[in-house]
Amino acid sequence: MNAKTLETQQFLQLSVKLTAFSEFQLQGTGQLEEYYDAVYQIIGEKNMIQLLTTFDEIQDDTGSDEVAFDKQFRAKVLSDEKLGPITRSIIKLWFVGTWYQLPKSWNDTFGLLENDKTYVISPSAYKEGLLWPTIGSHPMGAKAPGYGTWSAPPEIPAID
Amino acid sequence: MSNDHGGLTSTVDHKTAASTNYDAVIVGSGISGAIAAKELCEKGFKVLILEAGPGKDLSLNGYEKYLDNFYTATSKDNNAPFPRNPNAPMPRGTDVDSLRPGEPNSANFLVQNGPLVTDTTYCKVVGGTTMHFESKTPRMLPEDFHMKDRYDVGVNWPIDYKELQPYYRTAEKEMGVSGEVASQNITDTDNYAEGYVFPMHGMPPSYLDQTVGKGLNGMKVDMKGEEHTLQVRPFPQGRNGIPNLEYKAFNDGENFVPEGAVSLHQAEIGERCQGNNNCTPICPVQAKYDARKTLAKALRTGYADLLPQTVASKVVVDDSGKVTEIEYKHYDSMESSEYESGSFKGKIFVLAANAIENARLMLASGLQSSSKLMGKNFMDHPYLLTWGLLPEVAGTMRGTVCTSGISDLRSGEFRKDHAAFAIDIHNDGWGWATGSPYTNLHDIVDHMNKYGKELRHELVNQISTQLLMAVMIELMPDPSNSITVSPDYTDRLGNMRPIVSLSIPDYTLKAVEKARQVTRQIFQRLGAEDHTSYDPLDFGYVSYNGEGYALRGGNHIAGTHIMGDDKATSVVDKYQKSWDHENLYIIGAGSMPSIGTSNTTLTLAALCFMSTKKMLEDLI
Repeated sequence: MNAKTLETQQFLQLSVKLTAFSEFQLQGTGQLEEYYDAVYQIIGEKNMIQLLTTFDEIQDDTGSDEVAFDKQFRAKVLSDEKLGPITRSIIKLWFVGTWYQLPKSWNDTFGLLENDKTYVISPSAYKEGLLWPTIGSHPMGAKAPGYGTWSAPPEIPAID
Repeated sequence: MSNDHGGLTSTVDHKTAASTNYDAVIVGSGISGAIAAKELCEKGFKVLILEAGPGKDLSLNGYEKYLDNFYTATSKDNNAPFPRNPNAPMPRGTDVDSLRPGEPNSANFLVQNGPLVTDTTYCKVVGGTTMHFESKTPRMLPEDFHMKDRYDVGVNWPIDYKELQPYYRTAEKEMGVSGEVASQNITDTDNYAEGYVFPMHGMPPSYLDQTVGKGLNGMKVDMKGEEHTLQVRPFPQGRNGIPNLEYKAFNDGENFVPEGAVSLHQAEIGERCQGNNNCTPICPVQAKYDARKTLAKALRTGYADLLPQTVASKVVVDDSGKVTEIEYKHYDSMESSEYESGSFKGKIFVLAANAIENARLMLASGLQSSSKLMGKNFMDHPYLLTWGLLPEVAGTMRGTVCTSGISDLRSGEFRKDHAAFAIDIHNDGWGWATGSPYTNLHDIVDHMNKYGKELRHELVNQISTQLLMAVMIELMPDPSNSITVSPDYTDRLGNMRPIVSLSIPDYTLKAVEKARQVTRQIFQRLGAEDHTSYDPLDFGYVSYNGEGYALRGGNHIAGTHIMGDDKATSVVDKYQKSWDHENLYIIGAGSMPSIGTSNTTLTLAALCFMSTKKMLEDLI
């Protein structure tokens, strides 16, 4: 496994935790590499490595204990001044295909990032947003479910 | 220069067109212009259709470019699929801002003179505003044509429902209406005589409609001492469904064949709605009617020339008032302000550019109408949005944008006192009011600090239970609500921009108050959490009787060249022919003397079919 493949795998593991969609489902979107590359371009190598390494350490430390993971993840990532905002933008990226610019407070502390602006990554990123399957629907304007399907109750997938 | 319109048109360049004598020169390629072109071309008359905006969209590829624009737009507003074009700008809902008192806001294309700011929009591309309209197609009610006689408000039309009825049928065929006539019996008058059916069966009501209906049907509402019973009814819509075999009786014995996607090559899409939940701003499969479907029929006759990127800049008349030519500005690129000008000649001229642009062009040409009513009586439906969360998952965000609503408050003696209104149940949830589902995602991630499973549960809780009721409220004609122009405000090609002045009279505000009360009662009855709130800083904020509301534009612009049977009190006659100019038709919703509680497109289409009969008489 080369370095990039390894990091993409770590990014995938992180994404599973962030979205509660399985590796299989996330791979199935076809968006993993595009998102990894986009986030890498936006936040830069150092920040990416810090995020993935911190995540790995928490994983190693907590194993299958979800409560312990949540506690550490909140302490070391979500409430971290640098990693928290980045992580929240990655969550939103998975759910609607849009990278949301980091807050101004982030820039004030850590500086401006040249590629950090709000944008939809690509037409397929929009269509593969996880928000839509989460609510038993489809992205507006794509993946239409077919005539009359809207009359039946929604099929909201169970979360394992 | 050769224009590629997917092979659907003869090619014409503006110089050739300028040296051709047409039977009719039509300004605008939206539904009014397309109907006029089709009807004249099918009788062998040669027409030129001018479109101010770009025209690559008659090919499937061109259309799909719009779709990609939509997918990658960070704001999914009505005009998100269409490029910004400084040479033929259009209003965009996202451009709207509050007004500083006493000062017009000219920062964006539509100059806002207030007091109410409107975010109403329209579209300048081939196909016009039907490119992003929702395509709901209720007819107006018979009483809507006699508001003065019946309720002592507004004005009477020069025609009645009966006279328009056959043209309503023609329009319903042209737009490919799916619907059930039984759901449209709102008044006790028989508005759909002789066993009439729509071309296609109704769109199935959404699960959300059914959920609301279960709790709401049979609810009684007091309207000025008159009891009205509410029920959730499906709307007729210009959207392909399943053809109704009984329609044969109204179609010369033939089955109705839905009109699919507009394309050079055979394209197996657009024959039936797939439930993309995206009628506005763009139907990805072209199951929704848009005017290109009618335009394509005109172009296929070989008698129509379509000239995009050509802005009509002046209507030129002789001493007798007869139109001699229309001056134009043609641009090759949206990126450049360079243009060439000239003029087009024809036997008759048809302005079909929409209620704001028709008035703008006439006023910019110095033609105010001897009635002085050009641009006056500007109307649009103000919308009051109300939103709540249902106590159960209702599967919001599925279906066409809107399949059903409440139409029982469109008629009644209360119209003497306040405006009528109709309520839409929005299958696309709170989006119009709050920016959902994006705002929900932000809130859950950024403020509720959720991720993973909890985030997913919360998304379902906050989105799948949404109910947005959008109330469309009647606005009566009032000469002080107007479109004007001024040389102080021009676009990049030097054409004067429209200035809109709009205020909402008490007659309508009383209905706003009543609509809020009724929607509150509906939420209470359904056990829904009412999340409606209106920000005093909102651009559409109005106060009435001690309470504040935020209004939205309806994109149903009308009234600016009102029709009538007296030259002194109207701009056009019942055939939409200008009283002042014997060879000029000014067509579209601008001719409507009132707008009732119906989305305007079906009615304006019916009026256009009626007008084309007169145009043909003029030409023969």
